[in-house]
Amino acid sequence: MLRTLIAKDLRRAWRNPLPWLIHLAMPLLITALIGLAFGRGGEDSGLGRIKFALVDEDDSPLTQFLRGGVNQGEGARYLDPVVLDRATALAQINANQLSAAVIIPPHFTRDYLGGHAPVTLELVKNPAQSIHPAVLEELLGALVTGLNAVSRNFQSEFPDWQAVFKGEGDYRRVAELIVRAGDRVKALRQYVNPPLVMYTKEVRANESKPGPGFNLFGYLLVGLATMFFLFLATNGMTDLQRELAQRTFERYHTLHHRLWPFLAAKALFVVIAVLLGAAIMLGGGGAIFRIHWQHPWVLAALVLAYAVFAAGLVALFAAVVPDERRSNALANIVAMGIGLAGGCAFAPEQLPTFLREHISPLLPSFWMTETLRNLEFGNGTATWGWVIFKLVAVAAVLLGLAAALFRRRLAQGLRA
Amino acid sequence: MPFLHAHRLGKSFGEVRAVDGVSFEVQAGELYGLLGPNGAGKTTTISMIAGLLKPDAGEVTVDGTPFWSDPQRAKRIMGVVPQELALYEELTARENLEFWGRMAGLTPRDARQRAGELLAALSLTDRARDAVKTYSGGMKRRVNLGCALLHHPKLLLLDEPTVGIDPQARLNILEFIRGLRANGTAILYTTHYLEEAETLCQRIGIIDHGRLLAEGTLGELQERLGGDRLFVLEGDLSGAQPDAWPGFRERFRVIQQAEKQLVVAAVGQRDPSDCLKELLALPVRAENVTLKRPSLNDVFLQLTGRDLRE
Repeated sequence: MLRTLIAKDLRRAWRNPLPWLIHLAMPLLITALIGLAFGRGGEDSGLGRIKFALVDEDDSPLTQFLRGGVNQGEGARYLDPVVLDRATALAQINANQLSAAVIIPPHFTRDYLGGHAPVTLELVKNPAQSIHPAVLEELLGALVTGLNAVSRNFQSEFPDWQAVFKGEGDYRRVAELIVRAGDRVKALRQYVNPPLVMYTKEVRANESKPGPGFNLFGYLLVGLATMFFLFLATNGMTDLQRELAQRTFERYHTLHHRLWPFLAAKALFVVIAVLLGAAIMLGGGGAIFRIHWQHPWVLAALVLAYAVFAAGLVALFAAVVPDERRSNALANIVAMGIGLAGGCAFAPEQLPTFLREHISPLLPSFWMTETLRNLEFGNGTATWGWVIFKLVAVAAVLLGLAAALFRRRLAQGLRA
Repeated sequence: MPFLHAHRLGKSFGEVRAVDGVSFEVQAGELYGLLGPNGAGKTTTISMIAGLLKPDAGEVTVDGTPFWSDPQRAKRIMGVVPQELALYEELTARENLEFWGRMAGLTPRDARQRAGELLAALSLTDRARDAVKTYSGGMKRRVNLGCALLHHPKLLLLDEPTVGIDPQARLNILEFIRGLRANGTAILYTTHYLEEAETLCQRIGIIDHGRLLAEGTLGELQERLGGDRLFVLEGDLSGAQPDAWPGFRERFRVIQQAEKQLVVAAVGQRDPSDCLKELLALPVRAENVTLKRPSLNDVFLQLTGRDLRE
């Protein structure tokens, strides 16, 4: 009989797929949006190359040297400068083709080396972007600090250098300048070496294991899927209220069957819906975003346990509030609350302290996301067995409560 | 032995006494009508018989066995057609019928076969593969009826099965129900349509405010009004005081009195022409006096003082 009941529900869901599709598509869309906004998210995660304009209105040997140095060595991995005139650079920023423009003003070399007046580098940021322009601003700040340091230490040499840049010096003079600069740099060593403050860098052994490592898409998808499993479950259990409203439950109750098969079938239907949703979200999402699930069987077991918990939670709502709209609203609010407070949409570290320390650890959504994230993108040592036990235990309590409440309401003449 | 026996059924919802001491019997092959206005207690009564509500008082016996001693046994032999459509609108008529057949205990093969028979009997074969949500009101009513018949119930409870449909669709359903009765099914039929009760039911119980006021065949109920004819006086009757008319109460029984109309029945077997003469001689300005056969509405009027059509 359970099979007949579930087949009926699945057939009805198939005939009216829109609510299901919305709940399935949402986490994938949100993951894609957030993931793409912050970069590729996979092994080549990071900010990508920052494309910006270099507008050299001075066009001196010094500025040519600076321009050339920008995309050399490590800089070439992260920076993608294009040399443009001011008008073209601004036009491309407006067209969102560039993250920013760094403008070297006319007479920059003369003023810098002459020390006549403070010199200014201009940065025009693309307001449509947030991270890349901010990174460039930081880099420019570092460059300015460096230029200031050079200016303070080599001020006495600047007139000679200025003459060289004007083409007034011969090779001997240039060679002497370079030798003197080298001597001064050597003399500076005693101030900077050994440094007074140092840092050490250590790569933890287990993080250096071969594997996919952190995956932004995966990290996001796990959390969002966990939250949307609850929405899917709500949508599934809403069917119980629909059956109350459509009097089909009443018709069932006139038959010779007991109450529990009908309720059990609804809970099973919810579990199946969540599992199908998980297959699409995590399986399909994994394929789309190139996420390599490291522990697929543990993942499946966790999702199954979470689906049972979700069925219990929404069954309780249905038993407490038989009205479809009210119950739906309540379940969605609670699902969102459990999801957000459980770190599904944000990293738990970003939650307010009180939530993070006192509320989140009590939430099944937190157990689920933390375990999955640790397993798949962390050190892989999460205690998933204990989490599955906790989820199933909570589900059993919720389902028992829901059944008792439902039976009580039925005895009182339950109607939607 | 009656197939269904409702004995002094009572049910309250808070302060409201929805059903108060209702008793009646339905024999195998009999169509018993429960007639009453909306809110009379018909649905509550049928819900108690179907096991959807537990009575506060009284007892329901089905096929000789008290219902609550073995509800599952009683439910196996009854079919219930709820007043509101209880169908899966996304599914086709065939899928609905097969599903409820499976729920009623039929094998998949039997459910499929029986669904086909019912679709043909209810003239729905042509649309059997369409989703129920695309059906007209009358077609949905027919599917709603069919869903209760998959397992050949011996007792059929029909709660206003023709509400809200056009006359032709209603006639089709009533004809189908007559066929069921002819096959020996005991049928309890609730309605607030006088014509349905008059033309369909062998015995009728009149219910109002939760109480069964009278029951019997149509003839027996008409007899309560004093025979097979009523006299209707029309005119300005605002000042009429039947109690003040000498000997009137001994010869006539007032069924209804309004400003423009007075309906009376003769007491005992009397010649209609004598009655007419006596009525025309009354000290009122009667513009018209007519004779008519008493209807169930007149019975209801006499029992409750209200018109069932109101």
